[in-house]
Amino acid sequence: MNATPQTMVQLNGIGKTWPDGTRALNTVDLEVPEGQFCVILGPSGAGKSTLLRAVNGLMQPTEGKVNVDGIELTPGTEKALRKKVAMIHQHFNLATRASVAANVLSGALPDVSLARALCGWFHPEQRAKACHYLERVGLKPDHLRRRAGELSGGQQQRVGIARAFMLDPKVVLADEPVASLDPKISRDILALLRDAARDLNATVICSLHQVDLAREFGDRIVGMRDGEVVFDGTPDEFDEQRLNRLYHNADWGDGEPREDHPEAEAEPARHAAMGGA
Amino acid sequence: MITRPIPVPPKDARLNWHLDQPFRLKHLVIAVLLLVLLVVTGQRTEMDRMLAMTTEAVGNLVGLNDDSQVVRGLGKVADSMWPPTLATSEEAARLGDLDTDNLPWFSRIESTETVRQRLNTDTLELETTTETIEVLYRPMGYVQTVFVKMIETLEIALWGTLLAVSLSIPLAWFAASNYSPNRATYTIARGLISLLRSVPELIVALFLVLAYGFGPIAGVLALGLHAAGFLGKFYAEDIENADKHPQEALEAIGAGKIKTLWYAVMPQVLPQYVAYTAYILDRNLRMATVIGLVGAGGIGQELKGRFDMYDYGHVMTILIAIFLFVFVLDQISARIRARMI
Ligand SMILES: Nc1ncnc2c1ncn2[C@@H]1O[C@H](COP(=O)(O)OP(=O)(O)OP(=O)(O)O)[C@@H](O)[C@H]1O
Ligand SMILES: [Mg+2]
Repeated sequence: MNATPQTMVQLNGIGKTWPDGTRALNTVDLEVPEGQFCVILGPSGAGKSTLLRAVNGLMQPTEGKVNVDGIELTPGTEKALRKKVAMIHQHFNLATRASVAANVLSGALPDVSLARALCGWFHPEQRAKACHYLERVGLKPDHLRRRAGELSGGQQQRVGIARAFMLDPKVVLADEPVASLDPKISRDILALLRDAARDLNATVICSLHQVDLAREFGDRIVGMRDGEVVFDGTPDEFDEQRLNRLYHNADWGDGEPREDHPEAEAEPARHAAMGGA
Repeated sequence: MITRPIPVPPKDARLNWHLDQPFRLKHLVIAVLLLVLLVVTGQRTEMDRMLAMTTEAVGNLVGLNDDSQVVRGLGKVADSMWPPTLATSEEAARLGDLDTDNLPWFSRIESTETVRQRLNTDTLELETTTETIEVLYRPMGYVQTVFVKMIETLEIALWGTLLAVSLSIPLAWFAASNYSPNRATYTIARGLISLLRSVPELIVALFLVLAYGFGPIAGVLALGLHAAGFLGKFYAEDIENADKHPQEALEAIGAGKIKTLWYAVMPQVLPQYVAYTAYILDRNLRMATVIGLVGAGGIGQELKGRFDMYDYGHVMTILIAIFLFVFVLDQISARIRARMI
């Protein structure tokens, strides 16, 4: 690694107000250097997902600038930028009825011509890479032809990781990648993600709800609340007191007590609404 | 184990909740209105007369009354339709290339005497002459004709379905609001689908016969166009309702719309697509037997011709053939379905 790693992801004054008036992000500035494993913590509704989705333009911020590896995110550069930014999802987001092989290969789709894509005729190197990553995440050759939906949650997320690495990403965004997995598998999955990213010197921005895992895997912890970054430091600096303040009804020393979050209750409903949009 | 007494509300407790009965006066009014509607429409469609005539027919059959219009009508039809015609006989002289030493299978030459009346142009009188002509008699000739027509019907249905599927796939893409290139293409595609769906096959075929002439072209087009509307609508709605998660995953890496459709939507909707297509094939097989009534090829065209010539024996043969055809297809499709599920 370089002595002074260059900035890979730069968010400048990102703000987001949803059409319903919710202020999900309030002028967030964040710089993530190359190769860093950056964990984002914060209570539900803090804006973690919204922030991650700003990086690859899945969410259009109302204000602010996104810059990834020197490319500023605009409608014109979106495609080029997205090729450098992989994403791992809480719900794995696999095509459950398609085979594991098809799911992993689909991670290479931006690099394949339309005709090849429609025939499923991927380049031999891409097939080799798919096999390589599937082996690496701990799946077996006979998983290739299985339907993704038949796998367990942990196995599905492994497929998700393999898919994410198909394009040699510079940045990997992971939105609660282990939210629905047991503690042991969660640790394994995060270790896989960290190691695979290290090999490519890829930057990881990962939102989590498990503080212990955040401390274990994060090079850096960013605490968010109410759409603002309220903590930014190393895992060592993130002590019990700061933890309690992040998640509970706490006074952050600016004399302004924070209220509990009604949004946390409305969470499933919002996911459903997004799915139907 | 911890057990606690279940709390009981105190006697004078007043709850702010309401749990109403499922029906109210409003529903009663609606029920009465529906009843009135039924009575009025029933009268306009002569449901009362239908009931009376049917009762009369049943009474006649069990010997309670002497006469029934319905039974008389049906009896007349049945008389003229039985037995079904199986054979054909063609005048040998008209079959120019008939080789009498080498007749087609199961056929034979018969001589029949026909009495012909001819107007003598000189005397202006009707003269009766008796001629003996040779005919080629084929005992199963008409069955053969019907069989060939049935195959044609099957082919019309298959091609109609093929046409429908290939038209409706692009149509569905444009008609899915989340994949259509823009608002205009979406509106046009939806409009086209409604248009195709709204016109019944028989009516489409009527006009297509004018354009393409009698024969299977009109039939295939009529079946294909109507079914394309149906399939386009259902394919498009499945695309719209498909799980968004895998699509988001591919959108996040910038895969593009068509590739996303192919890799994130198609695997999910494919089983439904197969089911819709199977339904359309089934429907087209039935419709193909009817569509010939307006001249669009297949067994229906033969049926119409015979019906118009009062050849009720032939009509009977055709009806039996259609019944067997549909029955066999039902059996086959039931088997296939049982195997697929
Ligand atoms: N599509 C949307 N439309 C309207 N409001 C939204 C939408 N997506 C998110 N929000 C709102 O933005 C705020 C931040 O949501 P976000 O999903 O980023 O939170 P989060 O930190 O990821 O929460 P969690 O940990 O539960 O995933 C919430 O108040 C949420 O209700
Ligand atoms: Mg989230």
